[in-house]
Amino acid sequence: MKWSESISIKQIALAFVTGLLVLVSLIGGFAAYQTRAVTRSLEQHNWEAAQSELASGVERLLAQTGDLANNLAHWDETRQQLVTPEYYTYWRDQRVYESGVLNSRFARAALYTRAGTLLAPSPEKSGLPSKLPVGLPLQQNASWLSNQAGSIALYHAFPVYSDERRQALLGHGLIRIDFMPALLRQAKFQFTDTPSVKLALEPGETLAASQLFSRLSFSARPDPDQLRFQTILSRTLLALFVLLVSAALLGFVAYNRLLIRPLGRLTQDIDAMQHGRFNHNPARSQPMRISELENIRRSLHDYQLQLRELHGSLEHQNREFHSQARQDALTGCHNRRAYEEDWEDFRRQLQAAPQGVAFLLFDCDRFKTINDTYGHAKGDRVLTIVADALVMALRANDRLYRLGGDEFATFLSHTTPAHAKQIAQRCQSLLEASVFSDLGISEPVGISIGIAFCAADQLAHLDELPKQADIAMYTAKQPGRNRIALYGEDTERAAQALVASRETSALFQALATPGMVELHYQPIHGLPGRKVAYYEALARIRYNGELIMPGAFLPVVSSRRLETEFDLAVLHQVDADLSSQQIPPGSGVSINLSAQSISRPEIVSHLLELSRHGTRHPLMLEITETSLITQMIEVRTYLDLLHTVNYRIAMDDFGTGYSPLRYLVDLPVDVVKFDISLVNKLGQDNRAGQVVADFARMMKDAGYALVAEGVETETVLQKVESLGFAHVQGYLLGRPAPLSQLAVQPGAAGLDAPPAPLDDDGSVFA
Amino acid sequence: MRIFLLCLTLALAPVSAHAAIVRLEMRPGIDASAEYLAGLRNKPAVLLLHGFLQTREFPTVATLARGLQDAGYPVLTPTLSLGIPNRAQSLACEAVHRHSLDEDVAEIARWVDWLKSHGHRSIVLIGHSFGSMQLLAYLAAGPSAAVKGYVGASLIEVQIGTTPRAALIAQLESRVQRRQRDLVTQHVSYCRKYRSTPEALLSYVRWDQARTLAALRQSPVNVKLVMGDADDMLGHGWLKALQHLQTPMAIVKGANHFMDGEHEFDLLEHTLKSMEPAQPPLPR
Repeated sequence: MKWSESISIKQIALAFVTGLLVLVSLIGGFAAYQTRAVTRSLEQHNWEAAQSELASGVERLLAQTGDLANNLAHWDETRQQLVTPEYYTYWRDQRVYESGVLNSRFARAALYTRAGTLLAPSPEKSGLPSKLPVGLPLQQNASWLSNQAGSIALYHAFPVYSDERRQALLGHGLIRIDFMPALLRQAKFQFTDTPSVKLALEPGETLAASQLFSRLSFSARPDPDQLRFQTILSRTLLALFVLLVSAALLGFVAYNRLLIRPLGRLTQDIDAMQHGRFNHNPARSQPMRISELENIRRSLHDYQLQLRELHGSLEHQNREFHSQARQDALTGCHNRRAYEEDWEDFRRQLQAAPQGVAFLLFDCDRFKTINDTYGHAKGDRVLTIVADALVMALRANDRLYRLGGDEFATFLSHTTPAHAKQIAQRCQSLLEASVFSDLGISEPVGISIGIAFCAADQLAHLDELPKQADIAMYTAKQPGRNRIALYGEDTERAAQALVASRETSALFQALATPGMVELHYQPIHGLPGRKVAYYEALARIRYNGELIMPGAFLPVVSSRRLETEFDLAVLHQVDADLSSQQIPPGSGVSINLSAQSISRPEIVSHLLELSRHGTRHPLMLEITETSLITQMIEVRTYLDLLHTVNYRIAMDDFGTGYSPLRYLVDLPVDVVKFDISLVNKLGQDNRAGQVVADFARMMKDAGYALVAEGVETETVLQKVESLGFAHVQGYLLGRPAPLSQLAVQPGAAGLDAPPAPLDDDGSVFA
Repeated sequence: MRIFLLCLTLALAPVSAHAAIVRLEMRPGIDASAEYLAGLRNKPAVLLLHGFLQTREFPTVATLARGLQDAGYPVLTPTLSLGIPNRAQSLACEAVHRHSLDEDVAEIARWVDWLKSHGHRSIVLIGHSFGSMQLLAYLAAGPSAAVKGYVGASLIEVQIGTTPRAALIAQLESRVQRRQRDLVTQHVSYCRKYRSTPEALLSYVRWDQARTLAALRQSPVNVKLVMGDADDMLGHGWLKALQHLQTPMAIVKGANHFMDGEHEFDLLEHTLKSMEPAQPPLPR
């Protein structure tokens, strides 16, 4: 364990208790060791005492035996038997005992003649030899021991004289004593363990009494005092150990109750606070017995209360922030984050409960123009009113999301395509009923709605709904649409174009590969001579030998926001065609550009470079009127610049877009190309035709050069001509043709005559 | 004999000029000893004999011997051998008693002879208790002419308890005749279990009161008795029998059989009085 790691107070307590127990054990062990040393010393002392005691016993026994021998030797009746041994057996078996000379039945006595022969045979069990051992010093006492059939006997032989002066040897006496019983009866041995006393003597072996002690083995008797001392000491140590262990355990329990648990509770509270969990009833926390801990608990409790209040406040703020984070600040509806979260939740719910789902995408028509025209403040108000109207139109549980800018979305559950369309129409109706005049906005504010539907059994395609709704939205925004499009019904072509991988692949390949964008040129005839005045360059994509028409790839360009890239590719191809000199000299070329590209510097730079062909081929830029020009000032600046390098500016598809008059007023437009829908009205002899005709005359009078698009009948042609249109374009006079055909067979494109100079008779290039 | 004289010389030399241990071989292998206390030459020698199974060290005898010596009498206090070489201890009742009264008398005669051989022409025999009886037996057997007087202190006959003496004697005689050598246990004197050969026991048993009284009456020398009137060891009517015999007798009031204590002086006084030369000859 590293020292840097913190350890718990419980570990400290356990370590302390363990240490205490180890200390107690060591002390106990030391005491036991000392006790053992003392015990060994006492045992040694005991053994020595036993040795001394036993030696004393042996000496005493020998002395007593000597005394007995002396008594016998000096006993009158002993001498009597040696002189007149007639009644020797009586003396041997009875007199020596009843007289008290031999005081034990373990001792036996016998008398021998001077020659050492027994006076009378002794019983076999007496163990007395019939003759005294040879070599005994007959004139003095002699003691020895002998092992006879396992019984060790002490013999003491002594001479018997006739008188005290030892002048006449009467004979010999012999005392036989059962050694062990006699020895052990000597005294009450206090230190010698009497059963352990053994004499190492082989059967039949004889041992001199002087060597007796060397063969004696014994054990010391345990000292009762020592045992008592050991017992008392052991019990004392055990009691002390138990006491200390109990004290340690009680101390640990008390320590645990008074310190560890309270500290643990405090730690848990602090941890809980750290993880944002607060004791909901801190008042119920138990008071602590340690005053310092109680102070900490109270402080912590107060701190916890404050923190809980703060936490509550923060939670409230978090909820606010969370709500705000999911709410669009401007419109009050849900924002994109909420949309993404709710969409994910909605998808999960659908997996559990399949149902019909519709995704509605709302886009405010020309909102950019409104924003730029009336300012951001009013633009924001417009968005607010639109959002309010949509929220009111949606069902109670439907949510409206602002995805960004003027784009809104919602997804409807438990619905059908028809029902979704009804809701979409209700949205449009409520928005149309909204009043924008208070904001000073006089022009109508509308929304386009793209709808995508997914049946309950087709939820596998659920993720495609937003994209399908986007495609439907694109369709809804197409001119002539009713601004509500249901994917699958109204967007078949667009969807096909958008989703067709072939066209998409072709488009991206064309953008990356110069030459794949192929330009077909449709002649525009001047009136009244009906000669080709110039050509409008119409883009195609040559892909795998096939020609892909604009109707197939332009939706992809628009949906992928590839207008600038595509226009750059077109300009590159125009430059190449012009440089190829396959276009009849003097013939002008009209180029279509998206409104977005006009404000892009790279487009403008390219146009400026392309203007070098202006001397050979007058150049015209056609700006699609349906394109929303949001950066009006920048576009005008660039168009003015292009004007200076002899570009003519044409307003294309006039009559289908928004604010055409404003464009005519604010932009340096030279040519106005009437859309086919207006041109067709000229063929009708009604008020619509009259209005268009009057409008055309008014435009002509205002100085604009007019071009009629889509002229397909002679009637219309004559009408256009009568109204003073400068040029006419349509299948009636000429179809678009590739560049190669343009150079070889200029008339094959439907042209009746070579192109007329661009600057004669007040044509569009005048 | 020369050996014993040598013993006497050796014994006398280191101890004292007034006392010596004398040893005599009474029978082959059986030596006996006596203490000889020297006295005045003009005083008769005293042969002082101990009681039943005792030695000369018996207090009554030893005290009386010292008293007599102090009075100037040469005193010889033998210890009867009782068949034991150099007997020096009182013999236990239960010991093997092979000695007979005849042997005792023979040893007394030997000691009388020893006194005579040492120049004592006038000898007074003094006995205590059973020794008095043994001295009577000696007198009855024909004493030496040097024996001039007899003093019997606490004279006692051979008591045999309640056993009919005649039957006992007959039984013993029968054993003797049949040469039965087994020891006989019999109440003799103060011994309740006196172990003896039949022959030896028979020699003592025959000395009943009658034979003792007869020996007194027939004593060839002057006789005097010193008896204690508190002697509970005496047989019933023994004192009256003695008084009836009209034997000179001094009765010490309150004295027991051993005349111990203050009665030692009474015994000595009566003994010395009986040995005074002015005393008329004792009737025979």
